[in-house]
Amino acid sequence: MKNGLNIYKSNGKGILIDAQNVFWSITPIHDESDFFIPEDVLNLYNRMKNRLTRQMHNFRFSQELTAIYIDPTDRCNCQCPYCYIPERIRKNGRSMTKGELIFILRKIVKYFKRHKRKPVIVFHASEPLLVKDIIFSAIKKFKDKFSFGLQTNAVLLTSEDVEFLKEHHVGVGISLDSPSLLVNNRLRRSIGQGGNFNQAVRAIEWFDGYAGLNVITTLTKFNLTGLPELVEFLHSKKVPCVLLNPVRLTQANSRSLRPDEKVMTKYFIRAVQKAIECSLDSQRQIIVGNFANIILGIVAPVARRLMCDISPCGGGRCFLTITASGEMIPCGEFIGLKGFSGGNIFKTGIEKAMQSAPFKKIRARIVEEIPECSSCISRNICGAPCPAELYALGNMHQASVFCRFYKEIIKYAFKLIAEGKEKYCLRKEGFNNLEYEYCLE
Amino acid sequence: MPKKGLKRNIKNEAKEKTDTIAYRLKCAKTANGLSHFVMYGDVPKEKTLV
Repeated sequence: MKNGLNIYKSNGKGILIDAQNVFWSITPIHDESDFFIPEDVLNLYNRMKNRLTRQMHNFRFSQELTAIYIDPTDRCNCQCPYCYIPERIRKNGRSMTKGELIFILRKIVKYFKRHKRKPVIVFHASEPLLVKDIIFSAIKKFKDKFSFGLQTNAVLLTSEDVEFLKEHHVGVGISLDSPSLLVNNRLRRSIGQGGNFNQAVRAIEWFDGYAGLNVITTLTKFNLTGLPELVEFLHSKKVPCVLLNPVRLTQANSRSLRPDEKVMTKYFIRAVQKAIECSLDSQRQIIVGNFANIILGIVAPVARRLMCDISPCGGGRCFLTITASGEMIPCGEFIGLKGFSGGNIFKTGIEKAMQSAPFKKIRARIVEEIPECSSCISRNICGAPCPAELYALGNMHQASVFCRFYKEIIKYAFKLIAEGKEKYCLRKEGFNNLEYEYCLE
Repeated sequence: MPKKGLKRNIKNEAKEKTDTIAYRLKCAKTANGLSHFVMYGDVPKEKTLV
């Protein structure tokens, strides 16, 4: 394993990095054959390294649950070809009753009784709005106990629903894969309506610049070239944040949509550039959420909250998923995989699930034990996602399916930092709350 | 640690930095984890429109 400072050269800069604690520096290279570590960097490193290593260790191995995903129904009104929920569950699965959902939320309130921070509840896949009545009534009833989020394909959203969600400060994710109706509807197929394009765009317009809105886009071989246009389109619709997530290959059906890594990298970077350009031109910001997390992984690593890009990942550690039948699994991505239930919430407690063998198994997956990752300088910036996907592909302890993509976008993130453009990639209001832990004068 | 340095640095974004850069940021509001960056459930309470 490579510990201590490592050097690599990129874009005319020398980047020094200690992968274990993500201490880094960027130095211009004047002479390719003669790069030396500046003395002040070395002094700073020696002064900070133990503290940073301790911080990183605490960040990675703490088990503070902060969010719970609830799938109030197994059913869905879409048939996206890459869905991580098996078709038999989406077609024949069950939905929670109002009583069951309230029972679960009361149990969660009890679990978090002594916690200082308000926990986050996210209503998630399949399509939660199929049981709109019970989730909206739960949001009303528990509004003082939780912060709420909702992930939806927007097919069933009405303008009244949008007003309700805004009034209750619910974070909302809308699924949209392309600015082209044809491309989007090929991927986000809704039953009986061709696709969700018109409903998703209409809903985005109703939200009208709502700060809690984000759009989630799944990257497949069919929508890569349109990513910069998508960003521009969403910016014109006042969307403040978009996530451009590479498709997970957890289910066999998604594997034929696997994007080419080189092409994905190229258009992902162009999309980030477009986001910066749109934000600068208009003074209205749009950020690429998962790239923001990569930037944070470098400049403020312990401030990350999207826990797919650190190992152990956040599944079964910072969040868990409760399925429509009450099973507690480390993350929704495990829903179609056998042997990952930490127990049923109707029969047992969250504490027990957190200490269950399947949850411990996920928490035990660390980059240091993955041969390809243990010597990688980016190992604590990318985190080698995703354990569910890799388990489904035969072995959880291997590098990410899109390892080269992550390496390239991390390199690009360093380039932006060297140019002083990192602030355009982060939410303004969050960036203003940051202060220096240290800074080379 | 120099809080104001951050503002000074990021205002110079137009011209590429020519010196060595090394810094680490932390959140002034939360000890561990920036609630402002999570995708769900962290909607600002006072200001809902951007």
